[in-house]
Order: sequence, then structure tokens, then C-alpha cells
Amino acid sequence: MIRVAAVGDIHMGPDSQGLLRPAFETLPDCADLLLLAGDLTRHGTPEEARVVAQEVRDLPVPVVAVLGNHDHHDEQPEKVTALLQDAGVTVLEGQGTVVECAGTRVGIAGTKGFGGGFVGRSAGEFGEPLMKEFVRATRHSADSLRTALEELAGQGCAARVALTHFSPVADTLAGEPLEIYPFLGSYLLAEAIDTAGADLAVHGHAHLGSEHGMTAGGVRVRNVAQPVIRRAFNVYQLQGA
Amino acid sequence: MSDPAAPQEPTASGAAAENVEYRVAHLQDRLAAEELGELGVRAEIRAGAIVVTGTVPSTQCRETLLRIAHEELAGLTVHTDIVVADNARPDHAEEL
Repeated sequence: MIRVAAVGDIHMGPDSQGLLRPAFETLPDCADLLLLAGDLTRHGTPEEARVVAQEVRDLPVPVVAVLGNHDHHDEQPEKVTALLQDAGVTVLEGQGTVVECAGTRVGIAGTKGFGGGFVGRSAGEFGEPLMKEFVRATRHSADSLRTALEELAGQGCAARVALTHFSPVADTLAGEPLEIYPFLGSYLLAEAIDTAGADLAVHGHAHLGSEHGMTAGGVRVRNVAQPVIRRAFNVYQLQGA
Repeated sequence: MSDPAAPQEPTASGAAAENVEYRVAHLQDRLAAEELGELGVRAEIRAGAIVVTGTVPSTQCRETLLRIAHEELAGLTVHTDIVVADNARPDHAEEL
């Protein structure tokens, strides 16, 4: 059994230092690894990223993260990534990593993802260059997620987890206004997950959404945005892994 | 928190600014653009009042949000229900 702790949308700023650390320090009692599903900061500034880095530095469980749209706002995602990496966090963007947990290998494939919407109500790669660029960005992200999951399949992992910021399914957006679904996720991410296979998909981004969902291919999806789970993190036990 | 005072004359000038819908939109623009970087709060017109709801990361964020909401919507009836995120560890795991 693998115990996966996860949270997203912690939106840390200078006034946040130390708020999550007490709960994170209890992680070894209840989880084998911690996933951070993006929007770790408010504006993506180095100052905010240092707060996040300090909050997770030297935790006794592996920490794997993707960035969210807020973490890009200051247009320094490389700096945010570097500060988190310096604190021991593995930051994924279109890549996979394998974490060893008590003799078991867990594969995590991560990407921020992007919007576009869900089947029958989605944006197409058509028309103005800006519109095509928007959809291509999502497609590129989904392709990288699929490739990373496929590569993990050959690395002897007992379980594979897809980690994104944007949602792969509409299920976990329930509670958000329908009109903004295309800005909250894309079915292309779910298609990538179903094509490559995964044991769990974790995302954030939708603060007013709901926790539980599933892809068309039957992969469980969990929205771990902190306003949704109303905890420092949630823990998912993957049976048989 | 509620501020059930009767609506007063809008303080902003100009026809667009006096339209409540646009004032709500401007509140949301300001919450995103200023120090909060807040996109997750909902502001809706309901029965003649503005209802502002959502979860923010800290007590300080909540205070800032309430201040901005009351500044932007001055003169209107504003009901707020802003929750500060809970940072407690979970008391159980979900078995998948």
C-alpha cells in the first residue's frame, strides 16, 4: 500500500510562513510522499516561492510538485522552480519521476496543464493565431503527460500518479460556474491519462469544485485544492500497490 | 459578515461605474490585480445585494479582501462569507 498525501492552491505569501509546516511535519505518520498540485504562491514571485520552499524544506517524505497559473504570473517560473528545487522539491513540467517508498516504486508524471474545456464544449485549434496557440499549449502539455506516464510504465512502478494543476475532468469542477469550465481544465489531459494509464490523477485550480471524479477510462481523479479539501492535505491509500 | 445598510447613492462617477454589474466586475479585477492575486472568490448580485464568498489563505488576506470589497462596493448592500483555509492535518485517509 502506498499513502499519497496531496494538496494544491496553498497560495502562500509573506503572511503564510509557518501555517502549513506543523501539519507537514506529521506527514511521516500518515503518508509516504507529498504531492503539490500547483498555485503554491499568489503571484509567482521569488519572495513568495521562498516562503513555500521554507515550508517544505527538509521534510522527511519526498515532495513532488507542479506549478500552477499563479506561479507563472510574475513570469519567473524558472526562478520559482529553482527555489523549490533548492529546498529538495522535485518540480515536474512534462516529466516523470520515480519515488522509492518503503521498498516500493511510485511513478509520478506531472505537468501544469491548461484550459480548453471538455468534450462537446471545448475550444478548437482553429482561427486566430492566439486561439490556436491556446489550444496547442494544452495539447503540448497533455502530450508530455502521456509520454511521461508511458515512460514510467517501463520503470517497475507499483503505482503511477498523474499530477496536474488544471483539471482533466469536469466531475471535479462541480460547484464552479459552468461558464468558466473551459478555463479550468481540458479533456486532453484525461485522454492522455487514459491512453497511457494511471492509478490516480490529482489536480487543483478549481477552488469551488468538488473532490471526487473519474476519467472516462475509469481513473480516479481527486481535486486537492485546499479550499476544496479544507485541510493541510488529504491522504489517498493506493491498495495493491 | 454582513453589512445590511440600505443602498446609498453610488460614490463612483460615470454611467458605467454606476452600473452594479460593472462594479462587481471591477471588484474581481482588483482582487486579481492587487496584493491578493485572488481569482477564487465569487461575487454575485443576489436580491439587490452583492454576495461575496470564498476561501482565502490567511486571516490577513481575509481582512484585505473585506476592505477592498467594501471600498469597491461602497454604497451598496454587501454580504460576505469569506473562510480562511484550514491548515489542520486530515484525521483519516481515503482508501482507493
